[in-house]
Amino acid sequence: MLPAMIRQLEVDGVPALLAPVSGPMHAGLVFRVGVADESPARRGITHLVEHLVLPGPAQVSSHLNSRTGTEHTYFHVQGSAERITEFLAGVCAALRRLPDGRMAAEKEVLRSEAAGRVSDPLPMRRHGARDFGMPSYPEWGLSGLAAEHLNEWIARYFTRDNAALWVAGDDLPEGLALDLPDGARQPAPAPSSVLPVTPAAFAGSGDRTAWDTAVRREARAAVFANVLERHLDRDLCRRSPIAGAVRTEYQPRAARTARITAFAEPLAGQRDAALHGLVEVLSAMRTGRIEADDVTTVVGLTCDGLREAEERGGRLPGQAFNVLAGLSVRSLDDAIAEVRAVTAPEVAEVAATAYDAGLLMTPAGTSADWAGYPAVPPGSGSVVTGRTRRSRTDRGLRLVHGDDGISLMTGETARTVRYDACAAVLAWPDGARELIGDDGIAVRVEPALFRHGEAVTSEIDARVPGAHRVGMPARDPGSIPRPRRGLWRTGSLSRPE
Amino acid sequence: MLPAMSQPTDVVLDSAAAYPEINALRAALARRDWPACRTLLDSAGSMERTGLIRAVCEDEGLEGFLRAVLAADPADGAASALLGTHLIDVGWKIRTGARAQYVSREQFAAFHDWLRKAEQVLIDGAAYNPKDPAVWTARITSARGLQLGLAESRRRYDRLTAADPYHLPGQLQLLQMLCPKWDGSWEQVHEFARDAVGAAPAGGPHGVLIAEAHIEHVFDADNRAEMMGYLANEQVRAEIYQAAQRSIWHPGFGRGYGWIEALSSFALLFMLLDDQRAAAATFTAMGNLATRHPWDYLADDVVTQIQQARTWALGGKR
Repeated sequence: MLPAMIRQLEVDGVPALLAPVSGPMHAGLVFRVGVADESPARRGITHLVEHLVLPGPAQVSSHLNSRTGTEHTYFHVQGSAERITEFLAGVCAALRRLPDGRMAAEKEVLRSEAAGRVSDPLPMRRHGARDFGMPSYPEWGLSGLAAEHLNEWIARYFTRDNAALWVAGDDLPEGLALDLPDGARQPAPAPSSVLPVTPAAFAGSGDRTAWDTAVRREARAAVFANVLERHLDRDLCRRSPIAGAVRTEYQPRAARTARITAFAEPLAGQRDAALHGLVEVLSAMRTGRIEADDVTTVVGLTCDGLREAEERGGRLPGQAFNVLAGLSVRSLDDAIAEVRAVTAPEVAEVAATAYDAGLLMTPAGTSADWAGYPAVPPGSGSVVTGRTRRSRTDRGLRLVHGDDGISLMTGETARTVRYDACAAVLAWPDGARELIGDDGIAVRVEPALFRHGEAVTSEIDARVPGAHRVGMPARDPGSIPRPRRGLWRTGSLSRPE
Repeated sequence: MLPAMSQPTDVVLDSAAAYPEINALRAALARRDWPACRTLLDSAGSMERTGLIRAVCEDEGLEGFLRAVLAADPADGAASALLGTHLIDVGWKIRTGARAQYVSREQFAAFHDWLRKAEQVLIDGAAYNPKDPAVWTARITSARGLQLGLAESRRRYDRLTAADPYHLPGQLQLLQMLCPKWDGSWEQVHEFARDAVGAAPAGGPHGVLIAEAHIEHVFDADNRAEMMGYLANEQVRAEIYQAAQRSIWHPGFGRGYGWIEALSSFALLFMLLDDQRAAAATFTAMGNLATRHPWDYLADDVVTQIQQARTWALGGKR
């Protein structure tokens, strides 16, 4: 049995964690930067830096990998001491002098990776178009990013003072050097919220039901997430076949909070049943219906997992994240003791807090107000002052544009993006614009649908700073909304007046 | 006991006449004596308990009283079930039992508001009491009113059967949902009724599910000829008599939950089948008691309908 301890050292001014492992040696270099630091118009910049430093899709056989997360970005290698030294020197060299010749190729790689990803709208609905809402957004920045943007980003985030190293092995590799530029520690952003009340719900675009919440980061919360998965599996997969898959995730954050998510992928024709089943499980757990057996099982599995992770060095990345957050490194014994102490009533307490902070995504076209989850307001209450233009096709649709921003009114509902709180504007070559507010509200302006609509396009372009502009590829002409004037003449439709 | 072949002149529709415990529960509820209510409900059988809850749910002013009971003990399943059933009943009275095209937009909005209130009570009720059949029976009803779809109704029914495998009050609710007027088809209605009756112990009231399936089907007909055609089908007739053999004509058939409802439904069917002897025996067993449903499918004046049918059955003219 290896001594269960993590040593705290320093390599060239970078805090380093060293712990012996039973398996192969490995090491990782992590920076406190991630998607949460990006803006919509620069979305993807961290991922692009990561790919330029460590090219191509990671190959398992090469024992190299890298990852851009919400708060952290890391480069990881498994191999001999020499291999580790060489790899980390290469990462630092690439950050010092970014190999931007491969920029176009790596952008293509990122675009194809994105095509295979399922988007998760919950973060955007909870946090808006900023910090922890950013993972919901596509990598809009890719088209406009140039070497200068990447170098600015590196100078700010990929520095000696914003990094931590972990080495799983008996000793630090000989000759290990981390030649990184100086900088400053960049604390993770605080999660913002756009939800006026919780619990709340919104309708997604597919059949799946999903839920997320924010709780204190502690062992009982992690246990709750796993107990929740067992309850969901029992009620939705085994009791009656409603969902093909259920999953929960516990994601600790630097700010001593954690995000817990739950997903249910319904079987054909079962989307409403899956929604209700998930709502019921959350209600039952909130009222304290926690199976003590589940808690015991989860606690046992978690402790086994921690021990096994310790032996492989699997706890090191999380401890390195802690160091970057100014938190102390936790020993295995402390971590196990905290998990062991978790009781069913404590899990029920987490369940109640989690329920109150919950955000539910219901299947397309459904709601959950009947279950006590009021709908997230679709827009903002206020309308900007300015000129009103009525749509040429839809009498209920009005566009108001003025000095302060743009409002789009559909009947009684108004969606507004103010220029002083505009996170990005998507710009299509045909003149269409979509303004994204900091709060995540999007207002699409289709100039063809409004008289003198092109004047609104020019107004938007003049008011939104270039750095917030996202150039979009040309649209298929058939998909551009236009007034359907021809139809009246054919006689197939009668005039409304 | 009424002498055979007597012809009672009055028709008593009050369910308390068939189930005397209802009066005791009504009295306890009128006194707002919840411990007494609980004693009565807790000592009743599972189906009787749901029946009692449904029988007293119309009591006005229940909402404030039961919300106070639940505030003191949110885990009181009987209070959740009664409050939920009450709120559904208030909503349904606004909606009325009319076909959807005759219900106004405002009526539907109010109906759904009440059902949403009921759902929130019942979700908590089910969270605390996942094995309370009265809670699940009410949730099958609210799922229908809120148009949550067949998959969700089936899921709730699965939860009900996990708590109580042959819970007739809930089965009757699901049967409604399976009708084409709600979300299902005639194949689903009849298949469900056959399976549920076959699975339930003989001698109980469950045969009424098959009777109800045929009553729903025959009253869906557009005209008299279509009705007659349906009832002339040998398979239909055979199934009705088999169901009667398994329930109201079974030697074990007693006066537990659902007895008067079962007799009342079969009496109507025998009348439609023009089987005077079977109808006479059924009316005799009923005495002067009857239920509003399914006679309200014939006309609003239920008492007159029952009196005429009974007079014909017992040897007079229709």
